[in-house]
Amino acid sequence: MNYGPLVFLAAFFALASSWCGFVLTPQLQIGRLQQTNTVGSAAATYPVARPGLARQGLEVYRANGCAYCHSQQVGQTGTLLDIALTDAGTNETTTIAALLKLADASANHPGVLTALPPWGGSRSNASTTALLGELPRAFLRSSTREAANAAVKTLNSTSAKAQLWIVPVGPDLARGWGRRRTVAEDFLFDSPVMPGSQRVGPDLTNVGMRQPDANWHLLHLYAPQAQVKGSTMPPYRFLFEKRRIRFQPSPEALMLPPELAPPAGYEIVPKPAAKALAAYLVNLRADAPLYTAPLTVPAAPAASTPTNAATATASAK
Amino acid sequence: MSPELRPSLPLTAEAPEPRAGIAAVPVWLIILLSLFLYWGMVYFDQHSGWFSPEVYAPYRSTAELALYQPPTGGIDLSRGKAVYENICGLCHGNDGAGKPGQAPAFANSEWALGTPNRMIRIPIVGLAGPVQVAGQQWNLAMPAMGAALPDDDLAAVLTYIRQSWGNKASAVTPEQVKAVRAEVGNRTQPWTAEQLNAIQ
Repeated sequence: MNYGPLVFLAAFFALASSWCGFVLTPQLQIGRLQQTNTVGSAAATYPVARPGLARQGLEVYRANGCAYCHSQQVGQTGTLLDIALTDAGTNETTTIAALLKLADASANHPGVLTALPPWGGSRSNASTTALLGELPRAFLRSSTREAANAAVKTLNSTSAKAQLWIVPVGPDLARGWGRRRTVAEDFLFDSPVMPGSQRVGPDLTNVGMRQPDANWHLLHLYAPQAQVKGSTMPPYRFLFEKRRIRFQPSPEALMLPPELAPPAGYEIVPKPAAKALAAYLVNLRADAPLYTAPLTVPAAPAASTPTNAATATASAK
Repeated sequence: MSPELRPSLPLTAEAPEPRAGIAAVPVWLIILLSLFLYWGMVYFDQHSGWFSPEVYAPYRSTAELALYQPPTGGIDLSRGKAVYENICGLCHGNDGAGKPGQAPAFANSEWALGTPNRMIRIPIVGLAGPVQVAGQQWNLAMPAMGAALPDDDLAAVLTYIRQSWGNKASAVTPEQVKAVRAEVGNRTQPWTAEQLNAIQ
């Protein structure tokens, strides 16, 4: 019997179904991905293309195999809701009483509502009053929408103004590797996308947020152990050039500790590739609030009282 | 003796070659597989997010995702801005500063900042005759530009006027507009400044 057509059809359907799963479906899902707007009060276009030097740095990152040891994808396992006060209101006594009451009630329902440190540990009238001077600040954390809404309602019924803050959580986020999970938009302008598969080193999705100084990155590439104790990263000294100081030292020369410093009359300067890589690393930052990855970016605490007091003292002198 | 003539040896009875036959699949296996299939479908239904490109774990659907959108931090003025620049801005100016000989300013105008009840009435039937706006005397006629606008659009544009160009007054809600429309009723006669000032 001639099995040729059967073998052909079987092979055809096997390949066609994997093509549908690996090529067609992703293309239908995110093939037409475009720039979006961030959500929240300050809407901005996201993502924006990387600057030219950072775009070159992506090629250096790729060429040196950084993606073999560093991932660029942050996971998220859930979302919690923080109950934050933005305004203490006119009657702080009732606000404090309501907060303490909510915190005491939270002790009966652990997990649903938790009092956040440092307030939660040693809460008292005095400590709460002190923290009310540093608003906006989150006081309680809730795992369910209902409990959070109820708490906000309770607080708003006093003269205070309470808000819900959306807080993504997960092991990666607890390590400080970002504020939210990675989504496809984050890679829109990267080609190729290098999400990485191993984490010999830390995740670099938000390294520009953790370490925004390009000079730090240059020093770290030249001598990783000098910057991070116990680092297993190999030094990338071929991205740097040791050269004789001709007329005056280059402003780009690395400020190395004495044990790594070149002999007198020489200096270590980064090659263009190193500068591009540092620019790329500084540019790595994916923490904008998107519809697909919601989070609340709280406004910076209004430091008006101390600053004004300091200014007043300064002007009084 | 030639080999052909050698007598054949008697064949001993051997166990037959094993053959693949047809046996029924046990019923319990069919039931188990059906249960797995059902569970798989339910799991897929709850976790696939309908393959929406907007849904990533840990969220399971766009509805769940919408629950977690951060507050916009105040009222969204974009709709009011769009309505304003289409209708009001032609005379009052997109900067709210008014145009000499055409329409008075909204920025810092006591009419824009005052009670919403007074302000909502103006676009519904118009305003004619002498009127004092921010210390300037005007004597023009405004047509009923807002008569045809839906309540929510009118509320949005009035809110935009009350909260833009340095104005900081309360927002106007569609309910307020609806209530004022009911009070105004079938009136087509434009207001005069005195009539409006009588309203609190």
